Amino acid sequence: MVMQTSVLPPAFTEKADARGLLQWINAPERRGPLLVAPALATLFLINILPLLWSFGLSFFNYRANRQALPRFKGLENYADLLTDDRVWERFVTTGLIVSSSVALQLMIGFGLALLFAKNFPMRRLVLMLVLTPMMLSFVSVAIFFKLFYDPTLGILSWFVSLFTGESFALLSTPQGAILGIVVADAWMWSPFVMLLVLAGLVSVPGYLYEAAEIDRASAWTRFRTITFPYVKSLLLLALLFRTIETFKTFDLVFLITEGGPGSSTETIAIYAYRLGFQFFRTSEASALAYMILFVVIVLTSIYLYVVKRRNAAEEV
Amino acid sequence: MSGSFRKHDQASKLRAACAWIVGGIYFAPVFWIILTAFKTRADALAIPPKLFFSPTLDNFHAVFFNVSSTGDVTGTGVWLYFANSAFIAITSVLLALVIGTLAAYAFSRYPLKGNDTYLFVILTTRMLPPIVVIIPIFLMFRVTGLSGSYLGIILLYTGFNLPFSIWMMKSFFDDLNPEVEDSARMDGSGDWTVLGRIALPQVLAGLAATAVFALILTWNEFIFALLLTGTETRTVPVAIASTIGGEIGVHWGKLSAMVSLFLIPVFIVTFALQNQLLRGVTFGTVRK
Amino acid sequence: MTHYLKTGLLLTASMFLGSSALAEDITIRMAAPDWGPTRFMQEYANETYKAPSGNNVKLEIDFIPWPNFFDRVNASLNSGEQKYQMLVSDSQWLGTFIEAGYFLKLNDLIAEDEELQAIIKDLHPALVSGYSTYPNVPADKVAEMGNYSPDINYYGFPQFPDNYFTYYRTDLFCDEGENAAYQAKYGSDLPCDASAWEDMTWDDWGNIGEFFTRSAGETLAGKTLESDFYGVAYQAGKPLDFSTMQINAFFWQWGGGIWDESNEPNSPVLGVVNSDENVAGFERYLELLQHAPPIAKTGQMGIFEIQDLYMQGKIAAIIDWAALAAPVVDPQTSQVSDVTGFGLMPGNMLNGKLDRSANLGGQPFVLTTWNDDEVIAEAIDLVKWWLSEDTQIAAVKAGGQSGLMSVLGNPDYDSWAPWNATYRQSLPWQKDLWHVPEMFEMLTQQQEEFDRAITGQISAREALDAVAEFQDELLRDAERLK
Repeated sequence: MVMQTSVLPPAFTEKADARGLLQWINAPERRGPLLVAPALATLFLINILPLLWSFGLSFFNYRANRQALPRFKGLENYADLLTDDRVWERFVTTGLIVSSSVALQLMIGFGLALLFAKNFPMRRLVLMLVLTPMMLSFVSVAIFFKLFYDPTLGILSWFVSLFTGESFALLSTPQGAILGIVVADAWMWSPFVMLLVLAGLVSVPGYLYEAAEIDRASAWTRFRTITFPYVKSLLLLALLFRTIETFKTFDLVFLITEGGPGSSTETIAIYAYRLGFQFFRTSEASALAYMILFVVIVLTSIYLYVVKRRNAAEEV
Repeated sequence: MSGSFRKHDQASKLRAACAWIVGGIYFAPVFWIILTAFKTRADALAIPPKLFFSPTLDNFHAVFFNVSSTGDVTGTGVWLYFANSAFIAITSVLLALVIGTLAAYAFSRYPLKGNDTYLFVILTTRMLPPIVVIIPIFLMFRVTGLSGSYLGIILLYTGFNLPFSIWMMKSFFDDLNPEVEDSARMDGSGDWTVLGRIALPQVLAGLAATAVFALILTWNEFIFALLLTGTETRTVPVAIASTIGGEIGVHWGKLSAMVSLFLIPVFIVTFALQNQLLRGVTFGTVRK
Repeated sequence: MTHYLKTGLLLTASMFLGSSALAEDITIRMAAPDWGPTRFMQEYANETYKAPSGNNVKLEIDFIPWPNFFDRVNASLNSGEQKYQMLVSDSQWLGTFIEAGYFLKLNDLIAEDEELQAIIKDLHPALVSGYSTYPNVPADKVAEMGNYSPDINYYGFPQFPDNYFTYYRTDLFCDEGENAAYQAKYGSDLPCDASAWEDMTWDDWGNIGEFFTRSAGETLAGKTLESDFYGVAYQAGKPLDFSTMQINAFFWQWGGGIWDESNEPNSPVLGVVNSDENVAGFERYLELLQHAPPIAKTGQMGIFEIQDLYMQGKIAAIIDWAALAAPVVDPQTSQVSDVTGFGLMPGNMLNGKLDRSANLGGQPFVLTTWNDDEVIAEAIDLVKWWLSEDTQIAAVKAGGQSGLMSVLGNPDYDSWAPWNATYRQSLPWQKDLWHVPEMFEMLTQQQEEFDRAITGQISAREALDAVAEFQDELLRDAERLK
């Protein structure tokens, strides 16, 4: 008992005095932990605990729809997934969708940012037109884009038919289906890239352009030597941030193509859903989730590294 | 001088015209959804598309009222769903904001051992696909008896808004000049006074922006609302999903009407706080 | 909730101890998809249900959006939150949730309750087979045993029984000019009423499809078309069970079939699932898609897509569920509400007989396993109320469907909805998909392979070989196949 008192607040060793305890907690050297404690406690309860639970599950052969007691399998689930062609195929599909969507978002977002970089009358209002897609839910975007792509009732097919005289079924080929998803995703999220790039553009000192004008530098040279360096790191941030988010995309793809034709647009998030919620391979789904988490962590680390480097560079 | 001014003026006009065109194209799908809210089903699916049609308010009526097989008109409960959405979103965002701001201030001013690791883990938890945690969260709700209650879903959203709030607010605190706070301390103010009287008033705009972004995210959240709310605590996104499937594939008009109504508060708030958006979308990791 | 209410009530009750009748408040909470048939059940229960026990029983349906119904039910059941006393289930989910221990086996309850036995005996055997039995007992065997036998395991009752049939445009099929042209080309008449549809084969269906496929500018029933018009369509979509539901009909009608779960572990997969009959049926299914709207090429032609195309007046005939028929005859939603007729789905000549086998749709409702005896007793009373003739008649009149032979046999039954006669006639042809827990995995893989064939990436045989190989391995792993 006496041995333990050293780690307890002094108030406890003498008498259980509420004010003493409060003072102990409120001591300046405990300010940081005190302020952080409620947040960490909440996060642990709501975010971390479920994660640990499913991490544990990933080492068993648990199936949520069987009554048999789960058996410990060690790393077998991970090994099985890593050697499963279906899993790799879906990672590749996801990579394809993510890279083309993010590339398109970057291009469109960059263009939008250049357009909105300078002030003009009613800029605030026009900007809202561009920002609205971001505020819609995935479900409504997916449902309406599927209608737009419908060969008979959709506006896209109608528009194409004005030129070709024939209806057009975009989603009938793997390439078309991927394009359809990418366009919807890019439409929704290029405003995000625009906001980031805008921040970079705004930070370019005006005198650099004035100097360039005196030197009669071409528009391309000005862009390459002045604008781009200021926007470069922000573009990288946009790239990483959107990559992480697009990696998780589920509703949009599921509702537009349900992974079809065949399995040509089946992403890894859809497969994880099927494993866990349809096939009841609960443990395997957890293992796959942790593989996804691993990718996310790697991407997040790169992201934070870039953020840090950028902030450091700015302080210099 | 005047020539160059006119040139500048012309460039601005050209830019405005381009922006309007691009903005128009960009907004077209949203405009389409809003138009559809005023269309009959036949008009909504008509090809060639109908820009001019006789508008109907039936869809909005259907959002608020059910007409039963016997012709009885009853409310759809959409007001309850709106009230639930608002109550749950506002409460959880406020909670997350209070807890998150305190933590953010600490991460900014009193770095813990492994400060960056904490922040990293906090960010990572927000980046997981939700399907990963659904079953364990369900189990926790079952153990605690929180399923279907306001408290449960509010706590959950608080947990999900926290990483965002912490990162955002930390970025704002980092921007402040610590010397102001130090000089206040020299004058004998305690830490709490410094936080309440000096630091917080300087980040009010940041608090507002954080709140707005958390509100938008919470307002739109679907999967947990679907799984963890009960009949009485249901939110609007779940009600929106009810317009899909059943006897008919998509109730185009009703879906559009709900989406349009649901968009209004978000639109207004975003317009009002447009300048804070940038910080919002990047979780505060980017600030100018 | 129930328990909470009950404790509250016990307290109240104890205060009045000594008074003779103790009426308890009991809430039966049921998970159900959010749509007409379940909305009606709630409304009608609120209006009319009085528990025979004298207790204060309330049915409280938790309405869940259809697209997310499975996710919600699945998460709720697997988490063990034990929230629902009853729930609506798709028939295919039975095995999954029975083997997980969530759905209550009803045999003991039925054995001691003659009213329940009477209800089961009055149900159509196809529905008893599809909605209630696990391990599955095929409809013909159920019928042989008179629907009720202690050897069958019972789990569910029909909440909304459903099957699919033809919706067609009477203004086109009865048009004189069109009929003359059709007669000239194919040497037979267009089926203009329900009785004419009784003789239709898939050959006719193909002819009709070819005949009515027209381009913008051509005439249709005397009017010049402003946009393309399409012949015929049935479900061919990757989501859910869309293409499987229709393709199974072709397997059965061509004399093939699916893996027979009622004979596990002795029923083979290889040579059955990819049999020549199945390949022939599937090839025919694919071939007939050429007369469908172009959305067929995307593998996204589900039950709602064809319903929308039909309601917009873009297509001459479709095959779709009874559940989706009401909006088609409603002028608020449909352009063709007053020119729509209903008829049987076409069949295939098999052994000299026109075979119209089809895949059963609809949903049973079941009891869960965590209720105390009192709640179970009240839930069973609710089942009896729902399956009473009066309630069922009211349900059919409100646009629902019934599985009770006594209701189907009511002389006025056919007049309660324009498609009722057709629904009644197709009922004997219904068979169901597998019910085993492996169902979802088999279905998902199969939908994917079917989708490849529908979008022209592989042939019918390649698809069925891949399906058979996968099912063989999966079922062997699960020890359902020797």
